[in-house]
Amino acid sequence: MADRRRIQGPEVTVTPIIIKSSDKKKLLLKDVNGRRRDGRNLEDIRPIFLKTGLISQANGSAYVELRQTKIACGVYGPRQTKVASFSGKGNLNCEIKFAPFSCLKRRQPYRDAQEKELSHLVFEALAPSIRLDLLPKSTIDVFISVLENDGTASCLAAAITCASVAVADAGIEMLDQVASCSASYIDGDIYMDSDLLEEQRETGSIVLSYMPSLNEVTHILQSGEVEISQTTQAIEQCTDACSKIYSIMNHSLLESVKDKMQ
Amino acid sequence: MGNENNVNPNPTITFEAETFRRIQPEEYLRKFVQQHVRPDGCITTADGSSMVRIGNTTIVCGIKAEVSEPKLNFPKEGYLVPNIDLSPICSPRFKPGPPSEQAQILSENLNKLLKNPKVIDLETLCIQEGKAAWVLFADIVCVNYDGNIFDACVMALISALADVKLPKAVYEDGLVKATEEKIIALSFIRTPYSISFAMFDGKHLLADPNEMEESIIKSAITIAIDETGQLCNIWKVGTSCTPEQLRTCISKARDRYVDITSIIEKARQAT
Repeated sequence: MADRRRIQGPEVTVTPIIIKSSDKKKLLLKDVNGRRRDGRNLEDIRPIFLKTGLISQANGSAYVELRQTKIACGVYGPRQTKVASFSGKGNLNCEIKFAPFSCLKRRQPYRDAQEKELSHLVFEALAPSIRLDLLPKSTIDVFISVLENDGTASCLAAAITCASVAVADAGIEMLDQVASCSASYIDGDIYMDSDLLEEQRETGSIVLSYMPSLNEVTHILQSGEVEISQTTQAIEQCTDACSKIYSIMNHSLLESVKDKMQ
Repeated sequence: MGNENNVNPNPTITFEAETFRRIQPEEYLRKFVQQHVRPDGCITTADGSSMVRIGNTTIVCGIKAEVSEPKLNFPKEGYLVPNIDLSPICSPRFKPGPPSEQAQILSENLNKLLKNPKVIDLETLCIQEGKAAWVLFADIVCVNYDGNIFDACVMALISALADVKLPKAVYEDGLVKATEEKIIALSFIRTPYSISFAMFDGKHLLADPNEMEESIIKSAITIAIDETGQLCNIWKVGTSCTPEQLRTCISKARDRYVDITSIIEKARQAT
């Protein structure tokens, strides 16, 4: 049935078939020196732009950009839980939303299964870091908007990082900030912080969320067929990368405090 | 992100802020308005995109082009489908779920502004008469809600449409094939922008109202005009206003239109 609450286009739309110029060879993910298409080494992550406090209406907010990946996060709360039942512990509600234009194919504006799954993963990764026991009868709403998606695993990792900074920006008590990083397994190599094209050729992937100061992992998600030794190495590389991301998170929070002081 | 243009007040005259607000509410507000426009390809997954900031209000617009059969009664025309999403991220007022009443009204008004009078020549979106035409999905996402959403949405939409580049497409045996490179720009019939005013106490006109002002005023006027100064649409809600006030709004809107086009042109050249 047509959704009367939105302006409707035609019922069936398709993307046209792209005629590729035939002389193009299969794109190589790395060259002979082990450099990737954008000049990174296998273990390098993309440069990160992270800024807090861009959404004036929210209690806390952050915006993160890793080259093409662009994510905004707004935190509302702690505010009163709407449901009448008493809860001695605070509620954490995470919702991730992809803008219709954020992916290669247009996404429908209503919430789909992938968004629900990713929202739950963000919740799993963040919940252990927040002192929800100090916030009875309250709810913290974490809304994440993906403006551009360049690889779903790296998008999830960036969303977790961004959400954690936004929660800290909202002044909510936490044990530590959660930094998150992803990696792809491709032809026996570990590609850190892989982008969409690398992700399309992966045989497996890992997303690790980590609290660097406490040296604790809050969430880990691996998929695909991988040897144990490689997983161990990937976890080590991800924790290293998370520590680097952590320093960027701290820096952006310090900057926002400096701005507020002036 | 983007470039910044501060509209400087005249530096030789100094007032108390309150005095300034009373005698020149428009300039007073304009002084606080920082315009960030980024009408280039800031989103590479979209066929055209833009980002607009008016004060704290932040809007991102992305356009995706797909293909469909034209309508039976308009076999030569393509489609342009604008939708505004007031997501819960932008303000505590909005809840997750289907579009709120306000979002529906905004989308509908935007659709009206595009259709009548026509902004884009939809016949240029035709690939094969009666068989295939482009469908442009213009999705507008509000990232930060601080009032005057409609003006920001119109600016974002028009800038994103101007940024759209379509591939060359041909219709062969029921399939549409397109080239890899995107070169074809849309042809505009006119370039309308909207300019909003709020009326406070029945006599003070406030240009570009923010969220706080919008929540207390009883009357609002939105005027859409094109580059020739012709009126495209007028929306007036709330309590009555005098014809003189409406005339003031229209003349102020014409001045403001010049500012908007110069800011957007600057942003376009900077990229």
